[in-house]
Amino acid sequence: MSIQIQRGKAITVDRRTRKTPMGQGLLRGLGVIWKHWSASFQKNDSYKKIQGTFTIEYPEERRQLPEAYRNMPILLYDEQSGHEFCTSCFQCERICPPQVIHMTQAKDPATGKPVPAVESFEIEYDACMSCGLCAEVCPFEAIKMDHTFELSTHDHPSLTVDKTALNRPTTYYAQIAPRMWEEVKENAYKKLAANMKRRSDLIGIAPQMQEQLREQLARAPQAEPAPEAVASASTTADDKAARLAAIRAANAAKRANSENGQAAQGDATQSADDKAARLAAIRAANAAKRAAQQAQASEAPETAPSESASPADDKAARLAAIRAANAAKRAAQQAQASEAPETAASESTSPADEKAARLAAIRAANAAKRAAAAAEKGQEE
Amino acid sequence: MLSTDELQINIGPQHPSTHGVFRLLTRLEGETIIELTPVFGYLHRNHEQLGEANSYLQNMPFTDRLDYFNSMANNHAYALAVEKLAGIEVPERAEYIRVIMVELTRILNHAGAIGFLFNDMGAWQTQLAFSMREREKILDLFEMVSGARMMCNYFRFGGVVRDLPPEFLPALQDLLEAMPAFIDELERLLSENEILLARTQNIGILPKELAISYSVTGPMLRASGIPYDIRKAEPYSIYDRFDFDIPIGSVGDVYDRFLVRIEEMRQSRRILLQALEQLPDATGSHINPKARQNVRPPVGDAYTRIESPKGELGFYLVSDGSTKPYRYKIRAPSFINLTPLGDLCRGHKIADVVVILGSIDIVLGEVDR
Amino acid sequence: MRDLIDGLLNTTLGLGAPDWLVSLISYVAIVTIIFLVAPFQMLFFTMYERRAIARMQDRIGPNRVGPEGAFQPIADGVKMFTKEDIVPAGADRWVHLLAPCVVVAPTMLLFAVVPWGPGMVPVDLNVGLLFFVAISSISAIGIMMAGWGSNNKFALLGAMRGVAQMISYEIPAVLSLLAAVLLAGSMSLVSLVNLQAGLPFVGMLAGIDLGLGWLIFTPVGFVGAICFFIAALAEGERTPFDIPEADSEIVAGYMTEYSGMKFGLFYLAQYILNFLLCAITATVFLGGWQFPGVNWLYERAISPANPAGNGLFNVLAGVLGVFAFLLKTYLLFYVMIWLRGAFPRLRVDQLMHFGWKFLIPLSLVNILSASLWVACMQWGAEQGMGAIEGWSPWARLALAFVLTFAINLVGYIALVRIQAPTRRRPSRLTGSIAVP
Repeated sequence: MSIQIQRGKAITVDRRTRKTPMGQGLLRGLGVIWKHWSASFQKNDSYKKIQGTFTIEYPEERRQLPEAYRNMPILLYDEQSGHEFCTSCFQCERICPPQVIHMTQAKDPATGKPVPAVESFEIEYDACMSCGLCAEVCPFEAIKMDHTFELSTHDHPSLTVDKTALNRPTTYYAQIAPRMWEEVKENAYKKLAANMKRRSDLIGIAPQMQEQLREQLARAPQAEPAPEAVASASTTADDKAARLAAIRAANAAKRANSENGQAAQGDATQSADDKAARLAAIRAANAAKRAAQQAQASEAPETAPSESASPADDKAARLAAIRAANAAKRAAQQAQASEAPETAASESTSPADEKAARLAAIRAANAAKRAAAAAEKGQEE
Repeated sequence: MLSTDELQINIGPQHPSTHGVFRLLTRLEGETIIELTPVFGYLHRNHEQLGEANSYLQNMPFTDRLDYFNSMANNHAYALAVEKLAGIEVPERAEYIRVIMVELTRILNHAGAIGFLFNDMGAWQTQLAFSMREREKILDLFEMVSGARMMCNYFRFGGVVRDLPPEFLPALQDLLEAMPAFIDELERLLSENEILLARTQNIGILPKELAISYSVTGPMLRASGIPYDIRKAEPYSIYDRFDFDIPIGSVGDVYDRFLVRIEEMRQSRRILLQALEQLPDATGSHINPKARQNVRPPVGDAYTRIESPKGELGFYLVSDGSTKPYRYKIRAPSFINLTPLGDLCRGHKIADVVVILGSIDIVLGEVDR
Repeated sequence: MRDLIDGLLNTTLGLGAPDWLVSLISYVAIVTIIFLVAPFQMLFFTMYERRAIARMQDRIGPNRVGPEGAFQPIADGVKMFTKEDIVPAGADRWVHLLAPCVVVAPTMLLFAVVPWGPGMVPVDLNVGLLFFVAISSISAIGIMMAGWGSNNKFALLGAMRGVAQMISYEIPAVLSLLAAVLLAGSMSLVSLVNLQAGLPFVGMLAGIDLGLGWLIFTPVGFVGAICFFIAALAEGERTPFDIPEADSEIVAGYMTEYSGMKFGLFYLAQYILNFLLCAITATVFLGGWQFPGVNWLYERAISPANPAGNGLFNVLAGVLGVFAFLLKTYLLFYVMIWLRGAFPRLRVDQLMHFGWKFLIPLSLVNILSASLWVACMQWGAEQGMGAIEGWSPWARLALAFVLTFAINLVGYIALVRIQAPTRRRPSRLTGSIAVP
């Protein structure tokens, strides 16, 4: 039977009815198996071969994964600036078919306005279906698909992964998918540069890099008076010393600030002063924070002496914090004011200064807030 | 005269050869089937309702999970439906890439189906291992282009996710070179094997009329002697550009289904060779339409069907003008091909049930949706 | 064994031990050895099968536990022992418990008649083959008990299939062994082995014993070996006759409701039975321990015929003989694995069909050939074979060979043609929708 159809025909399959089955089919089958058995002592590593062992002995041997391989989503950050590519545009959260991506956008603490950066980012790996749509829709090339597949664990909650665990440097992605990264790299960095301008301080910096950056900031002005530095470093336990240091730092900042305000300085000295102020503010904030923690901790036992002591402590801490905050604010104003003339030198230094100052201010404010909360709690009790 | 009694046996839902969570309620007279009722629905995942809550693109990865052997074919059917609904044009190169993927899917599905059929007959997974080897090669290719082996999620409305990587075409050439040897070996191992002949010939005969009245499609229909293939009957995509034959059976038993599948693998290889020859180069075509992530088709409905490896796979979509389909309905070939199972098995032995079931080639993910 | 111990104690050491002591020592030693060897064979076989079949399927097979996976069977055994023993609700507890024992015990008994090497047969029964056939069919009772006691329909179906299959395939097995018995004129396995010394067809030639006169080289022995091996596959429940435990149809047949060590015992019994069936095939048709050099060594060893031999030659002959015997057995088991790798299984009615309508007639044809062979080779004028009385041995051999070969071939082809499925196209395709 042959029915004519457009370009091709219908062919009836051969049912092998001509031969009497006498066991020749069985023997031929045995022959095929024998061939496979005897060829199985070498490896089959080619697509052209149909014989030979094709087992990949997994933990020891691993397949070369193709670039496009997708397992679980990861976030990228630039390991030079520490900035994350993600701007929390919510595209991935919207497209995700099983709805496992959750994020919140970062806000500028000073102004309260949203910043193109992500504050928290969570993916439920346990429900992720690895479809790769999130990576596909991301306009900032911030979310990519990882090649790691050995994720099994007994700990179910650990499969809800937050930003710290999701972040990977761009070098990592460039290593697993060089070609695909090369295609989008330029675009990604261009967009990142634009977004970085709208981010302030440590907003949008990968958590992995924050510590490092902070260290860098702290290390910069080594010329500061040594005793203070030592004091602030060693006062982890001693809250009195911390308070003292905070007050001193605040004073120093104030002094530096007032000096700044009074005298008309060169750019070089101004930047140095700014740095000092910043440093002082940071220290003050740290001290205040520690003081607040200390206060909270000492409240717990609720012994009479500590109870009586804590309001005073709190007060001191709060005072220090407020002072520090004020100092920082002033420093920030100063920095902004000095920006106005727009001399060549100040232009280059001011963004960084401004950022630092704002950071210090935020910290101080936070510390103060926390101290206040602790104090309130103490008072209630 | 001894008094005899019927035996009722529940094959499944957990059984080695029901190809998933599927139950066969059988009444036996000795070992002979008097009545067999397929009971399905154990794997119901609310797919269609879910599709109405998702946007058009969000449904794409879910279609992979329908018939997890043929995710590319499912993608194709769904993409065609949305393209028809929204009036989206597909670039030439993307069409060819789609055809390459779907024909590779056909080969891997048929290789797997034959392997599983042989397994159901009681062989110790030998043909399955050989089939899986070829399947793994094809899955390697899928992984290369889409990033995943089974849940490819590769097709997009108006194209595909990304162009073929440079290492794809040489690998495909190698694969196609080895393909005839594989198919010939399969035939040598199985086609004339007397045990296989005894187990498959004149077992589970599906007559033409019954096949049509059950609206059976795919290799099963063709094995019953009806040369109906949507690629020929209603060419979609670019299937009218290829030369290929439609294998049909003459009896309609398990053996014919098996032979039709083998021959279809050969024809798929022919299509692949032609597609590779005609494949336009990458320059100047945008095969990944990123702009179409948020499809908002005009109000209306569309039904598209493709010849998926298992039969006619149709997607019916109704749009109310929003980003989500108003109605999302699937005509699943596995499900419809499974319905005549009771008639096919009646009068046969219990051992034939699994062989007939294997020859229907179902995937429960598609049956239950 | 007894000879060896007798020789060692009384002749070599001169202890003058009484007869009963020698017997006791030798039997205890034999039983100990068998109970050590049998599980070891099973462990080895599971590993061997898994590795060989993996190779056939282009895989590597288990290679993680120990060097090249050598301890995998031990790990499996540990798993078996530590698994929970489940008795299904409504099961007949005692029958369920006893069934594995009833299956295992006869297979262990069968070791009694297996000749491992020259002078190394535990008991040389003069009805060794009969013993083997009789005892091996006892395990059918165990299978039925397992199927009945499990309170499971799959198990019951499997047991029914198993018993039906075992009983049906006893007949071709016995008939094909009968051909060999006709040639040997004895049912003792030792005498069957001794028959196969020398060269093919001719036996001893010029006093040189090559130990290659295996029955399989004769047309009668060849067909007999194939028939017996096929019947052995059915009896040992090997593919393509693994119908009682067809995993794709009835889950695991009569073993469905067994777990832990009870399942392990079934498993043990099955593999030991497979080993024994291979061993018997090797003994009856492949010459057992016959191998070039074995007889030469054994002539110089301590034996009933030669009590003053050297014990060292006993050891050498034993080692070589056991080596040859095990080699043949393992090769036969390889064939079993090979078949398992290549073939699907038959359906239960096709199995019966094949057994009763093909295998039994073929073995009957083979018995006819065997008797003709005996007539041509041994009979003279007084038995009615005067026509070839004066022929030279070579001429008689040629006549016997051609005759038996022709009969067996014609019988095979005729049976195949009768069994071939009708080529008439079934009418159902064009006919009505009605189904049987």
